[in-house]
This record gives sequence, C-alpha cells and structure tokens, in this order.
Amino acid sequence: MDADAHSHEPRAPEPRSGRARAIGDVLLEVRNVTLRFGGVRALSDVSFDIKRGEIRAIIGPNGAGKSSMLNVINGFYQPQEGQIVFKGTPLKKMRPHFAATQGIARTFQNIALFKGMSTLDNVMTGRMLKMQASWFEQMLYVGRAKREEIEHRRFCEDIIDFLEIQAVRRTPVGKLPYGLQKRVELARALAAEPELLLLDEPMAGMNVEEKEDMCRFVLDVNEEFNTTVALIEHDMGVVMDISDRVVVLDYGELLADGTPDEVKADPEVIQAYLGVQHD
Amino acid sequence: MFYLETGQYKTSYAKDQQIFPLVQDRVGMVVILLVAFVAIPLLSSNYWLSTIMLPFLIYSLAAIGLNILTGYAGQLSLGTGGFMATGAFAAYKLTTAFPELHFVLVLILAGVITAFVGVLFGLPSLRIKGFYLAVATLAAQFFLVWLYNKNPWFTNYSASGVISAPPREVVPGVVVTGASGTPEAKYYFVLVLVVVLAWMAKNMARSKMGRAWMAIRDMDIAAEIIGIRPAATKLTAFAVSSFYIGIAGALWAFTYTGSVEALAFEINVSFDVLFMIIIGGLGTILGGFLGAAFIILFPIALNQSLLAMGLQNAIELASHLEFMIMGALIVTFLILEPHGLARLWQIFKQKLRTWPFPY
Repeated sequence: MDADAHSHEPRAPEPRSGRARAIGDVLLEVRNVTLRFGGVRALSDVSFDIKRGEIRAIIGPNGAGKSSMLNVINGFYQPQEGQIVFKGTPLKKMRPHFAATQGIARTFQNIALFKGMSTLDNVMTGRMLKMQASWFEQMLYVGRAKREEIEHRRFCEDIIDFLEIQAVRRTPVGKLPYGLQKRVELARALAAEPELLLLDEPMAGMNVEEKEDMCRFVLDVNEEFNTTVALIEHDMGVVMDISDRVVVLDYGELLADGTPDEVKADPEVIQAYLGVQHD
Repeated sequence: MFYLETGQYKTSYAKDQQIFPLVQDRVGMVVILLVAFVAIPLLSSNYWLSTIMLPFLIYSLAAIGLNILTGYAGQLSLGTGGFMATGAFAAYKLTTAFPELHFVLVLILAGVITAFVGVLFGLPSLRIKGFYLAVATLAAQFFLVWLYNKNPWFTNYSASGVISAPPREVVPGVVVTGASGTPEAKYYFVLVLVVVLAWMAKNMARSKMGRAWMAIRDMDIAAEIIGIRPAATKLTAFAVSSFYIGIAGALWAFTYTGSVEALAFEINVSFDVLFMIIIGGLGTILGGFLGAAFIILFPIALNQSLLAMGLQNAIELASHLEFMIMGALIVTFLILEPHGLARLWQIFKQKLRTWPFPY
C-alpha cells in the first residue's frame, strides 16, 4: 500500500507513549437514579460521576445493581427517578440509539456478538454511525459507499492490529474461543470511537493470562485513545490495580465511592463483602 | 492445489473487497455468464428456454428477494406468494392503464408498489419474531391472494379472473411479454434483469445496509447499542425483499406464463421459495440460484433420466419415483449440511484448495 494514500484518511490515533494521563472534568453524572421493576428496587437513589479520561470501576456483590446501572447509562432501562447528565446536558431519558450517537459504547457480560458475521464485519458494524452512503450508492457500490468501505476498513484494521486479532479477521465469530470473542467485542465497541466505554465484566471467565492481556488492552485504550472507561468487574485484584476510582453498590444502594485504597478500607464495604465478626 | 490463492497479493483494501477477490472466481463467473448468455440460447430449444430456464431465473430472483429478508435480516416470511401476486397485478394494472409506459419502468414501479405492501405487512415484525412472525406473514399470503381473486378491479373485470399479458416491447421491435414474445427475447430480458438485480443485492449485502440486516438477525440488542435502528432496518429489509419478489411475480405473469390468475400464487409458491433458500443456503446470494436450480431444474433432469432409463411406458411411475428421490435428497442434503448448498460449495472449494494435503 502506498504511503501517501494514507495521509488524509481518518485513522486511529497514534500511540502516545509516556503521555501523562489527564483526568479532566465530569463527563457523565448519575443523579439520584432510582430504578424499579414492579416492586423490586434495582437501584435506589444512586449518584456518582465519571470524569473524562479516568477508569471508573463499579463493583458489588451479585444482584447489587451493577449491570442495571450500565443499562441505565446507555438507555436500555429508563429510571423512574433521577437523571443522567452527559457532557453537561441533563437527560430524563437515554435511548440506546441516542447513547450511541453521543459516543457511548459498551460490551456485554454474556458476549453479544453477531455470530454469523466475520470478525472484520463485526468491527465494521461498530462504525455504522460514521457511514453516510445512501441506499442508492450502496446498491450500485459507487461513490461514498465504495469510498467509505475502504476508509473505514483502514480504521477497523488499525483496531484489529491494536487488539491483536488479525489472524481471525475472516473467521465467523461464533467459531472463536471465548477469550477472543471478548476481544472482538471490545474491538467492535472501540470502532465507534467512543468517548465513554462501558465494559460489563470484560474479564469474566478468563484465565490469568487472558485477564492480564485484557487489562493491558483496557489500560492501553484508556491511555492511547484517551477513552473514559467504566467497568464492572468481580476480580478485586484487577479492580484495585487498574481503576482510578471505584463505586461500590449493594442491594441497589451506593455503599462507597472513592479511590481503590479508600474503598478497601471502608468498613461498610468490608461488611458487604466479608461480613463482620459477631461476638 | 486446483484453487490456490498463493501468489495473489491484494495490495489495497479495494482489491480485497471485490466481490470475487480471487482470479479463479472471476474466471469462473465469466464462464458462467458466457454459458448463460451465449451457450444456452445457442444450444437449447425454445421449449427449454421458455419452460425451464425462465422459471428457474424467475424463481432465483424471488429466492434472492426472500433471502434478503429471511437469510440476511432473519425475518421469517411465508408471504412470498402474496407478494409475487402483488407484483404481477400491479404490473398488469399499470401497463393496461398506461400502455405507453416503458415495460422496465412498469416492472420497477410494480416492485415499488410491492415494497410498500411488504412494509405494511412487515409492521408486525417490530413486535414479534420467528414462528409468530411467519404466522403474521401467512396472513399477508391469504389476504393478498383473496383480494386479487375476489376483486374484479384488479383483473380489469375479466370474466375468468385471469390476467393476460399484453405485448410490450423493451426496445422497438422486440416483444418480451405475452404470447407474441419469442423465447429468446424473453430469456435475454429476464437474464439481464436477474444478473443486474443479483449484483445489486450482493452490493447491498456487503455494505452498511447488509451488515445492519445481519446484525439485527444475529443479536438485535447489540445492534441497537451500536446505533442501528431495529424498526427502520427490519422495514428496509421487507421493502427491498418485496421489491425483488414483486418484480419476480410480474416477470412470472408477463414472460413465463403470459396469463395468470391470483390462485397461481397460492401458499405452495411461498413454501417453494422458502425451501429454495433453506436448501440453497440462507444469507447468500449464490444460495438463491442453487436452491432454485435444485427445486426447478433437478426434478426435470431426474424425470428425463428416469424416462431414458426405460420407464417411457410408465410415466406415472417415473413421476412418483421423482417425488421419492427428491424428498430423500432434500432430507439427505439437510442432514449433511444444514447450511445449504452454498456452504457445500464453500467446503468443496476448501477441499480443492488443500488437496492433496488436507491438513
């Protein structure tokens, strides 16, 4: 491929090694959110914020409302009370499509890939909103349709390189092993160039090596693309190592909010996770 | 060994994203087109062209249409017959009301009208999926056929309820419809249309639209997260699919049979087309052609070879044997390869590539 054809095309940002991570102003704020399913309160009066450029972990025992929280943030669930403030704009209701246009991408706890499509097609689908070609151009494969396929292919290939899944580019994702599927799902989310990346248990079910790889990818994404990350994770080692601040939920209520060290020392958190000694 | 890609370096994404990135495939396609455009008209009789090749091509077109909806977008439909009837009657009404209108334009408009009807009957897909949707589209099938059968306006008040295709020229002097069209003219006309429409379907399938369809098919929740609108995507699939099926229906009435009644588009037409895409391969363009060939061409070949084997005096026995062998073959194929003939072809190509060292 000739070098000058590259220059004016949109590309994934180059790695900026050694750059100090800058944590900026508040990107997203959850304000007094209450979510009920019938009589069950999945979330009650939860408030916290996510700052630009940070890695924010959401932890808590099973059934604490972590996934519900992510579903509220990207518009799957509409909370009965409270607001989501994204980039300073308060929104009563977030819708999945609107969240996508605003730059919120996510992965799922139980992988939600397009199983019949190849890795490349999955990642290309992640760039859906960046494509402008009309149906007429697509039908004839001319003009913007053809141009965009090539431009976005280039971008997607950069992400495929970044996540080291070149070898399975053409493989239908249904045939890939679990760890790789998780990676493809991350690639698909990254293809949208999100400002806020929501990861629902990105390391669940992985062995130590796979977890280490995934941690490296999450940190790299955060550092190189300056993407804000909010992740749910059960592995406390991972959470304490990579996150800047941690939110702890229990029974739908906010238990603690702070740096990993503060949270670790919080007696209520210890009680929720370990129980206290009764004498 | 026979199908090596070694040495074929793709140096740009444009080259990698061609429909046929390999030289062998391109050569194969040229050969197939040469056979279709030159060899078949030269070698086959008028009978072959008009009673075997025409229905094969028209059914292929309908199968491509249904494959867009069911194979790519994952919306099961049993309304194909009804949509074909819509295309046929729309074309009939248009061309009798505006005899000056060029026939290609009539076909396109008939396709557009069918697309609208398809979207209308696609609305239930926004709430229901799978077998329940199939039942909802079954309503389209019965309602549409009933409508054209019972409402004399659609047949221009013909006493028999049959519409007869008036002669229409595609270029001056070449009649492609009705009884006065020559089999060659009809064959070439349908062939060009099918090739162009198949190419367009492939283009849609490999760009943004096709990926949106497949995303909805495979995981609608994740598709929504990415920013795909499920409602719009499903309805687009219904529209494009019905457009193709409508044109196929119009061609069926105008070029193949020449005169047709609504009851010719009964539920078994829907089943035939559905079997074609299941046997041919869901979610592939090739599958439409392979499935149509299997359902239309294969029984004829079977019948002819049975007769040649000395069953000339037992035509009834031959046709019973034909049904039995067809049924057995369908079951065998589906057990051997549930993904259809198109996947078998892929596997065969892989074998050719690695032979004689298949590891």
